[in-house]
Amino acid sequence: MMALLAAVPTLTPPTGSDIVGLLPEVILGGAFVILLLLDLITPASRRTWLAAFSVVAIVAAFGTTVWGWFDAYNNPHVHGVFFGAFAYDRFGLFINGVLLTSALLVVVISPQYLNRRGLHYGEYYSLILAATTGMMLLAGAASLMVIFLSVELLSISLYILSGFSRTDERSQEAALKYLLLGGFASAFLLYGMALVYGETGHTQLEQIAIAIHSGIATVDPLLLIGVVLMLVGFAFKVSAAPFHMWTPDVYQGAPTSVTAFMSVATKVAAFAALIRVFSFAFPDLYPQWQTAVVFVCILSMVWGNLAALSQTSLKRMLAYSGIAQAGYILIGVASSPHDAGGTIGALFYLAAYSLTNLGAFAVITIMSGRGEDLDRYASIRGLAHRRPYVAAAMALFMLSLAGFPPTAGFFGKFLVFSAAIKSGLMPLALWGIATSAVSIFYYLRVVLLMYAKPDADAKSYEWSKTTVSGGAVVAFTTAGTLVFGVFVTLLYTVATAAQQGALPRL
Amino acid sequence: MTNIPWLSIVIFLPLTASLALQLVPGRARGLIKGLTIAATLATAVLVACLVANMSGSPAQGTPLPLHYDENQSWIPDPVNAHYHLGLDGLAAWMLALNAGVFLLGALVVSRRDVDRMKLFCGLLLLTETATAGVILAADMLLFYFFWEAMLIPLYFLLSNFGSEKRGRATLKFIIFTVAGSLLMLLAIIYLKVNSPANSFDLEVLLRTPGPAGDAVNFYGIHLFTPQQFAFLAFAIAFAIKLPLVPFHTWLPDLYESCPPAALVFFAGVVSKLGAFGFIRYAITLFPGPVHDFQWLLLTLSVITIIYGALMALSESDIKRIVAYASISHLGVIGLGIFALNANGINGAIIQIVNHGIIIASLFLVLGIIEQRTGTRDRHELAGLEKQMPYLYFFFLVITLAALGMPGLNSFAGEFTIMLGAFQTFWLLPVLAGIGVVLACWYMLRLHQGLMHEPLQPRTDGVRDISFVEGWVLVPLIALMIGIGVYPKPVGDIANLSTHQYVTLSSGPDAPAFTPIANSGGPG
Repeated sequence: MMALLAAVPTLTPPTGSDIVGLLPEVILGGAFVILLLLDLITPASRRTWLAAFSVVAIVAAFGTTVWGWFDAYNNPHVHGVFFGAFAYDRFGLFINGVLLTSALLVVVISPQYLNRRGLHYGEYYSLILAATTGMMLLAGAASLMVIFLSVELLSISLYILSGFSRTDERSQEAALKYLLLGGFASAFLLYGMALVYGETGHTQLEQIAIAIHSGIATVDPLLLIGVVLMLVGFAFKVSAAPFHMWTPDVYQGAPTSVTAFMSVATKVAAFAALIRVFSFAFPDLYPQWQTAVVFVCILSMVWGNLAALSQTSLKRMLAYSGIAQAGYILIGVASSPHDAGGTIGALFYLAAYSLTNLGAFAVITIMSGRGEDLDRYASIRGLAHRRPYVAAAMALFMLSLAGFPPTAGFFGKFLVFSAAIKSGLMPLALWGIATSAVSIFYYLRVVLLMYAKPDADAKSYEWSKTTVSGGAVVAFTTAGTLVFGVFVTLLYTVATAAQQGALPRL
Repeated sequence: MTNIPWLSIVIFLPLTASLALQLVPGRARGLIKGLTIAATLATAVLVACLVANMSGSPAQGTPLPLHYDENQSWIPDPVNAHYHLGLDGLAAWMLALNAGVFLLGALVVSRRDVDRMKLFCGLLLLTETATAGVILAADMLLFYFFWEAMLIPLYFLLSNFGSEKRGRATLKFIIFTVAGSLLMLLAIIYLKVNSPANSFDLEVLLRTPGPAGDAVNFYGIHLFTPQQFAFLAFAIAFAIKLPLVPFHTWLPDLYESCPPAALVFFAGVVSKLGAFGFIRYAITLFPGPVHDFQWLLLTLSVITIIYGALMALSESDIKRIVAYASISHLGVIGLGIFALNANGINGAIIQIVNHGIIIASLFLVLGIIEQRTGTRDRHELAGLEKQMPYLYFFFLVITLAALGMPGLNSFAGEFTIMLGAFQTFWLLPVLAGIGVVLACWYMLRLHQGLMHEPLQPRTDGVRDISFVEGWVLVPLIALMIGIGVYPKPVGDIANLSTHQYVTLSSGPDAPAFTPIANSGGPG
């Protein structure tokens, strides 16, 4: 057995390049600590400077990510760093790029919103940076231990962030609910990892993959239970049904800028880990985990879309829509072992979804009134007559979520459906289009409301003025949604490269 | 000269104009109108030049020779989608109709006092871009891209500018269409995955079709083959747009609530795209399944013709009457397509354009009447002859054209379709003839009722059409009479591709598109 293990390519021993491979995370983690200290000496009226500092840190991390993208390509032998606990590959760096973009946009819209809600504290930015660091670590994690630690880092930051509105009961409820259920999910994840470790004798994904592939670890019920428990843990984080119960309450209760961040970044990072573990480390268990993923996938699409129909709050609707979108991304995951297009589709979908969903939440964020979020359907009635550009952008986001061309959302759906058909999972594609047709109802309902004539006798809502920062975020997400919807190749080639570079690879 | 991407210019000129409109302040209504008319006019002139110069020989050796071929990679290899545009005889007709009808729409909207003119004109131009893209695309994914994108400007037009009941009607239309086209998306992906060439390109798919596959075994019951399922998905998507009878319910509601200026191009072009899709995609890509389901589709067409006519007789809202009449006439086009022979398809292509002209002008006239009298109830409208002598004349010609009077344009198309249907089965034109007889009844009843009876309170003191309104109608009338008297040039352009479509729909073994190299030609 030793001989067999010696024959396989081992991960590189620790060298100076370890830090290089972890550079974006190191920069962001360092910025998180510095920000905590800076907060102490920054006067309350100058907290926008903290946002500016976060922006600088995120841009620096993004720069190193881009640099790493080419470095990782030029050094094909540098795979894992830190004894292979962390993957320095284009897959992780692609996800880093999506996460950092999301974090950047959220930080840019935050100061205005937090000031209006009276929540402008320095910890907010440190926690955003901490959560982003955790997410980036999760995206690159190539060992069960790192996966768990980064899940905890991002979760704990988000527990606090969702309860950030300390005087708001719903925000407190959201935080508590998220904490309790998140704790459960972490326990499931950890238990699953323990079983997988017990069966394979390794914590590193590459070694686990080799052990399963070479038959050292037999495929017995204990291993399968471990795999399924890990799926439960990840499904909770990506808010896939039936592990989605926390999503609507937490999304609605949390401050909108936090919801924007959570709905996008958490999902992206958790999907990255899910894909890395299931598509790349457990491809040999595909026949076994396929049934479970297909079940979660169909249930998410059906439950998310049907529940979204009856919502009257934008944030709750987007929460259920997020559950449904997780289902569509899972189509890609379910077809990934048969067809590389599944993973590429899922990655494309994640990037497209991030831009679109963040844009939608940015619109809610920048419109929110003093002390309250204007997220009821009634409060956006007639928005198009007063804020034509914001309403047009929101309409575009809704169309992208519904999957209309020429938006990025269409190609996300197209790619995952293609992968499903190519790998013979026609029922998934059929469920996908049936539920997509349903989803048009509730997405277009928002558009219809915005373009309806405002009621003469209805309460007049005080939508905030669109500020430069808010307008810039909306413009950026709008442009991204459209550009990736027409010039698909731009994003598609990057996603393909990410899929091709993904570790572990047998 | 050949390197200029003319077709791309045709597609994106309206889009550019629409974006330019955003720079114009909303108060400058004259400038907005002028820019819209200029853009649609420029597109129409360009299209006219392109169609007139189409006689040059296109690339040979392809099953579907396309003029002004433009082909570039759009999404790289595993997806393998192309930005491929091309013009053939059918597309040329459709494109000419498209450009003409949108120019008409722009002229109509400029005469009306539309609230939020900038939004309306911008959406009109976006719709033109999308429909032109649908017509010119020669790549399945590109086609689908424009096909779905078309719904977005239409949705905003209908939900912003329609009458009171628009919300429901619009949603019904969108849901119907999207449900159909999502099925078609799956079928498109299936076609590509199934084809050995692994391409979305229409020409490539026609040259190298995939295997039909075995019948799907569903718990012991043998259903259709995958290819038949794929055909049905296409057929449903196009039958909803056409519409054929069980899928038609969105149309009357939508036409009723549609703003008049939008109705001109909605009825004129958008609903013709279903017929276009049937000819261009459904019957060519699935020569086997289309014959398997030929009788189903023929039956539905005949039912559509008769049902539409009966419903038109029973309505009293003039817009709904014409909406059902339109359904009935579109059934005739369906009959021609599914006859699957040269006469049927040729007639259908001609009739698509004829019906586009007729229905656009009918709705134009009804829009004017509704605007002047404030009602659409047939029983409240009477005696307009004395009040509106010019309109009376125009309406008379349009009515006669609509019911298929020889010497006017519709006759040529309907006659050819009936001929084709007769060649398929003698009973078909007999049954379809019932619809034609009923058409005389409801169209003449409508015309007589509106024009001849004694004046009603609503119609007393109504002004006749203005000079400009008249000049919008004159070219349409001229076309109806011109095509009716001398239909040859029209038939010639249609004939450019009728032969190909007939050959393609008759199966992959047809010898017509053997590459020249294989048949021993020089080089």
